[in-house]
Amino acid sequence: MSFISIEFLLFLAIIVFTYYLIPHRLRWILLLVASYVFYAILSIQFIPLLLASTAFTYFTGIIIEKQQIRKQKKKVMLVGISVLLFFLGWFKYFNFVNESLRAIAKYMDWNYTVPYQEIVLPLAISFYTFQAVSYLVDIYYGKQKAERHYGYFSIYFAFFPQLVAGPIERAKKLLPQFKVEQKFNYENLTYGMKRIAWGFFKKTLIADRLAPIVSSVFDNPNPTGSQIVLATILFSIQLFADFSACSDIAIGCARMLGINLTENFKQPHFAVSISDFWSRWHITLSTWLRDYIFVPLCKGKKKRSEIYLAIVITFLVSGIWHGAAWTFVLWGLIHGFYRVFGDYTKHFRGKMASFIHLDRSPVLHKWMKIAITFLLVCFSRVFFRSDSVTHAFENAQLFLTINSWRPSGIVKAFEIFSLLDLVIFIFFFIIVQIFQYIERKNVSTWEWLSQRSIFARFAFYIFIIVSVLIFGVSGEGFVYGGF
Amino acid sequence: MRNIEKYRNAFINVLDLEEDEVCEDLALGVTREWDSIGHMTLISEIEDVFDVSLDSELITEFDSYLSGMELLKRLGVDFINE
Repeated sequence: MSFISIEFLLFLAIIVFTYYLIPHRLRWILLLVASYVFYAILSIQFIPLLLASTAFTYFTGIIIEKQQIRKQKKKVMLVGISVLLFFLGWFKYFNFVNESLRAIAKYMDWNYTVPYQEIVLPLAISFYTFQAVSYLVDIYYGKQKAERHYGYFSIYFAFFPQLVAGPIERAKKLLPQFKVEQKFNYENLTYGMKRIAWGFFKKTLIADRLAPIVSSVFDNPNPTGSQIVLATILFSIQLFADFSACSDIAIGCARMLGINLTENFKQPHFAVSISDFWSRWHITLSTWLRDYIFVPLCKGKKKRSEIYLAIVITFLVSGIWHGAAWTFVLWGLIHGFYRVFGDYTKHFRGKMASFIHLDRSPVLHKWMKIAITFLLVCFSRVFFRSDSVTHAFENAQLFLTINSWRPSGIVKAFEIFSLLDLVIFIFFFIIVQIFQYIERKNVSTWEWLSQRSIFARFAFYIFIIVSVLIFGVSGEGFVYGGF
Repeated sequence: MRNIEKYRNAFINVLDLEEDEVCEDLALGVTREWDSIGHMTLISEIEDVFDVSLDSELITEFDSYLSGMELLKRLGVDFINE
């Protein structure tokens, strides 16, 4: 049962209806059953792993809290995290490490006999493992009390709206919301429905319409440079539409139940620098990496070069978290390099901007920074999207070739679209841009809409629904669902 | 050395600031030396000098000369009656 299905909407409607019908003391049972049913429909074979990880994290949290000596607390926490990471490592990275070692052995002419294992990646393991790790670390630092109610804790671990692809939530934000009686609130219900509809809109009209077009280039053994340029830019649009739609639906579903999830995106393609980009893209992962990887790595570091190293390691972890492949490792390293290089050249670039009087036109300067940041992000996504390192380097070379950027070549590359697909894409892309423009001018487009006449509001809602029903296409789940 | 001097010295030593640049108006992002990277090196120095531990929430809260002092006061560093 994908988010993008009638079945899911029916499932959600039943859960929401029942949720407000039954007394608060029984709601945790409903949410837990709903979460496990949702997970089981998607991936029943990994239910035991989810249950085992939940139980293990629950008891480890209590044991950490019960320790009187700090060293002991630390020891238990480290053992707990190691076990969780072992499972993540086994399912997600075993074959990656195994195949890498085999390649090294072959190169060095060594005998290497560990066979390839048929391992299926358990759904959502990267997301719930990170939530579990943050829970244990927060208990160790005294920022979070170990949850004693097994039911509430289990929902934190498996809450169906955010289980598959986040947002990655902290226990101290989510657990209290489950415990408080959420009264039926009309605003929450309608806001949730609007967010879900907007998620469907972005997913079915942008992301899944672009997916086969992007694939036609990246799966082509001999794409032209201009096709790679265009497909990479389109992939960036697809990825944002896909992942932000998934977050919209998750946030919308949770809001219908009175639960507030963390916003995961703030128009990342309008970032003015790479650091700005990471404060707008997959925000809950970025803050997780900052709090549990970067800040601990910076402890005791008093030189900029040492902080630079911490940045590169953090981005490396980010890359590896995304996928068990060298392309993701390289993608992470590229972002680490961007961040360090950006910081190192900051003053020089400032002087240059001043020298050419760019600082006298702040609007132009800002849009130049947005364009450069977007292109840098696009370049890194060549590695993110390519299916092997060899292809990634070939595609990257094409992306960087000046000829690939010839306007005539780019116009010709649009042949990867059929005329109908192109018109539909451009139309709905403009709608999304208008929505984002209003968001940049106001706090929330939904709030802005609520101040319009009832006719205008309902015209927009009906437009969203009708567009999805007529022009929407549904692909193979969410890109980040595979991580 | 008094705590306030230790505090000021942390800025001077780590961020390479002149003595007269360390004032109550000093804030993260206002001077080119105190940027996000410089902030992390400053945090390390403050942690060493005052023997405190700042987690990511406190690191985010510490965004000016004055907010840093307030935060350290909460962690038991006395800037007045020493």
